[in-house]
Amino acid sequence: MSNNSFRNLCLVLQAIRETRGSNAKNRICADYFRSLVSQKDLNLATRFIGEGAFETFSGKRASVGSRTSATAAADFCEIDYEHVFKPCRTATGSSSETIEKLMANLDIARNKRIPCHLPLAEIEQIFESLCLVSGREEKQKILLNTWQRMTPVEIKYFIRILGQGSLRIGFEIRSVVSAIATAFNKDAEQVRYVHMITGSAGKTAVLAKTDCLDEAVFQLFHPLSFMLASPIDNRSVGNLSKYFAEEKFDGMRAQLHTDGHKVKLFSRDLNDVTQSFPEISEFIVNRNLPPTVLDGEICVYKDDTIFPFQLLQKRMGLKNPNIKILKKYPVLFISYDLLYTMKEPIFEKRLSDRRELLENLARTYGIPITRQFDVQNWKDMERLFERALAHGNEGLMLKRKASRYEYGQRKKSWLKVKKPGGSLDTVIMYAHAGNGKRGGTYSDFTLGISVKNDERYEEEFIPIGKAYGGYTDDELRKINENIKELAVERYGPTLGLIPELMVEIEFDDIQVNNRTKAGYTMRLPRFRAIRWDLSPEDANTLKDVEKIYRKKIEQERMRQGVNASILIY
Amino acid sequence: MLNVENAGYNGIYLPECRLAMDGSHPEAKYTFITHAHSDHLPGNRQSTVWCTHPTYEFMQRRGFKGKAHIIEFGDTIVLESCRVSVYPAGHILGSAMFFVEKNQQSLFYTGDCRTPASPATEGFDRPDRTDFLVLDATFSLPIYRWKSHDELASELRDFAIQTLNESYTPVFLGYNLGKAQELLHLLAPLNHPMQIHGAGYKLCSIYEKESVDLGDYGAYDRESCEGKILVTTSSALNRGFASNIKIKRVAYCSGWAALESCRTQLNADKLIPISDHIDFFEMLKLCDSMNPQKVYIAHSPNPDVLKYYLEKKGIQAAVI
Ligand SMILES: [Zn+2]
Ligand SMILES: [Zn+2]
Repeated sequence: MSNNSFRNLCLVLQAIRETRGSNAKNRICADYFRSLVSQKDLNLATRFIGEGAFETFSGKRASVGSRTSATAAADFCEIDYEHVFKPCRTATGSSSETIEKLMANLDIARNKRIPCHLPLAEIEQIFESLCLVSGREEKQKILLNTWQRMTPVEIKYFIRILGQGSLRIGFEIRSVVSAIATAFNKDAEQVRYVHMITGSAGKTAVLAKTDCLDEAVFQLFHPLSFMLASPIDNRSVGNLSKYFAEEKFDGMRAQLHTDGHKVKLFSRDLNDVTQSFPEISEFIVNRNLPPTVLDGEICVYKDDTIFPFQLLQKRMGLKNPNIKILKKYPVLFISYDLLYTMKEPIFEKRLSDRRELLENLARTYGIPITRQFDVQNWKDMERLFERALAHGNEGLMLKRKASRYEYGQRKKSWLKVKKPGGSLDTVIMYAHAGNGKRGGTYSDFTLGISVKNDERYEEEFIPIGKAYGGYTDDELRKINENIKELAVERYGPTLGLIPELMVEIEFDDIQVNNRTKAGYTMRLPRFRAIRWDLSPEDANTLKDVEKIYRKKIEQERMRQGVNASILIY
Repeated sequence: MLNVENAGYNGIYLPECRLAMDGSHPEAKYTFITHAHSDHLPGNRQSTVWCTHPTYEFMQRRGFKGKAHIIEFGDTIVLESCRVSVYPAGHILGSAMFFVEKNQQSLFYTGDCRTPASPATEGFDRPDRTDFLVLDATFSLPIYRWKSHDELASELRDFAIQTLNESYTPVFLGYNLGKAQELLHLLAPLNHPMQIHGAGYKLCSIYEKESVDLGDYGAYDRESCEGKILVTTSSALNRGFASNIKIKRVAYCSGWAALESCRTQLNADKLIPISDHIDFFEMLKLCDSMNPQKVYIAHSPNPDVLKYYLEKKGIQAAVI
């Protein structure tokens, strides 16, 4: 079999899926990358496995919804969509898997398909043509024509790659990047860096193959993965004077790229959200900045006041908002880091140096930036923390002055200090049908925290509690829409879900409960927000929960103490 | 008209015949049992039942204390109220299907069935036609279409051989009555020593008495199981079966293994969709050839699809 065929790629995907252990998966993928002779094929294969039909940062989408491919498949198989396809999808929990099975099982579909070994380049052209045509009918025509020439496995992965989502083989972009390093015997850290600045898995693979990793350059309008903060652990902080403190905004993290004329805003999951916030583009264009990349936060800002995240949510996901919305929920981009200036990426510079450059830029061009404070001791911290809360912010961020910008990593250089009790980022594991008023919808949710790197557990997520409310009717409806796609099993009124939907849960307290798998339960858990911007990778861990609990214990002791300020030392 | 009522978990009751099948009913004069899986057994462990010899032995080893009238495949039993003919179901050893005739009307009750029959059973056979069909529809969706037993057997053997070649211990997960012995039977030609979990082991001699070759097998022994082919259930595996052996690979063997989502739920390396139930396409074939006026769809988690297909063929369908 020619190894640049799409079928061969799909067989590799199946092999990766059927292999446990990241080293073994890495080897299979690396062998495959090495086996591809042409640069073009390597580029495409890496992209298809790691990113999808199109490069993530191209912003291109084929816009083939799950319903479009599902109804096309029902047509192809000559079955009824409502009576046959939908119940099958409910049973498998996956539209693409259902299509694979029907294509393999139904004689009508078998007879229509004459699989041939489509080369990767032809698949790319099909993706392009799907992007070019608009209208469901024309897209379906292309799908039907393509599927005639494929095996069922190819059809399944074709659909998953087209959706730019997970291939569900336990091998995400991070693994693909490390397979590139293995394949061409390169330093993993360098490959990761090149992937970050080129924003393209395919280009990275080709640069690695041709020994040209050194030539990679940062490009404006290609977002970098964000540097992430860890929860603070007082004992590991050491000397506070090594950190800057700033208030932690209750907003939406964003990265802003501009060349003076053009502006692009990227969300934390690297999606282009520019169109949702036209006043930010306008504001930046008016400032006429030189080529610049800023890291910061989008907040609803009115009458010199930062408003809570709940108001910002009215703007998120809303493209081209109307005047009324713009007036009611005006937003501001507040910068706190500078990643690119004077034609040069500066994320390898120390934070204190980046900060100096950012302040200069802000002074010259009049862009809002965070105030940073020096903290000498925990008393300063407390004062600042109280003030941050008074401002309606979440708490404080501590940022190590000497740290470089650790894109895509969650290390200890940035620490977040949140109000205790507080909130957890959790993933929805199960949905339970409500009764009475909420009948017919899933209204109660079992929430999971991550134990992926926890030696004590085998699974990835374990339940930490169940939430019954705190959402709006609209949010509940949206969750219900998504659940249908994620359901993999049904036990009476309960649905087991693929862990994908992230919600931020607020609670009054965390308590020990040895009857639960986690050993802890939340008191009064409720929804704070659906976090479309987070992925299951971002879920808080059991260790976080334990930390929050310990913190609470310590605080209670402090209350019992004579002088809290002394105990803090 | 033969009326059909529910009885027990998975059974039915025919009031005109005072006949219960796979379940107890307070009015029943006769209780027929298709096979020894627990969801088909009478609630009362002391009662008297009609069943095949292997089924009776399995029931006894699993704690049944009552009496049995032993029936044979091919028998027709003439009761006061009706006639009952016995057909092999191909599901597990001893599994039967019952063809009930009364006043020129007939009903065929499949219990759990598998066609083409599992190779570790007495085969599959049926009457030519029936008025009513009570059908095992556990897998009644077109996403389920089983591979041939030859293909499945080579998947099982290939997995075992490859795993052993890499010095791993292969572990096959399957239910301990029926599936476990079928796995031993299909793996027997490898001539490699096998060990089976105790709950399944105590049922094996009944298979051998009926001349089903189970190969070179013994009871699971924690100290000596490494490097053997192991057969157990997923719950036993979770409770520490062979937990002393770190390098092993697990194959989950069940019709449900057709679904990708099993992989993460069970932490299995390999999914082998080998089922002891009839698949959707064989169901349609069976309905076509037996030409019943009405089909009762039993055991189905999603009966509407089969119902839709049958009604399109002009066959009445009801969910039971
Ligand atoms: Zn059974
Ligand atoms: Zn059964």
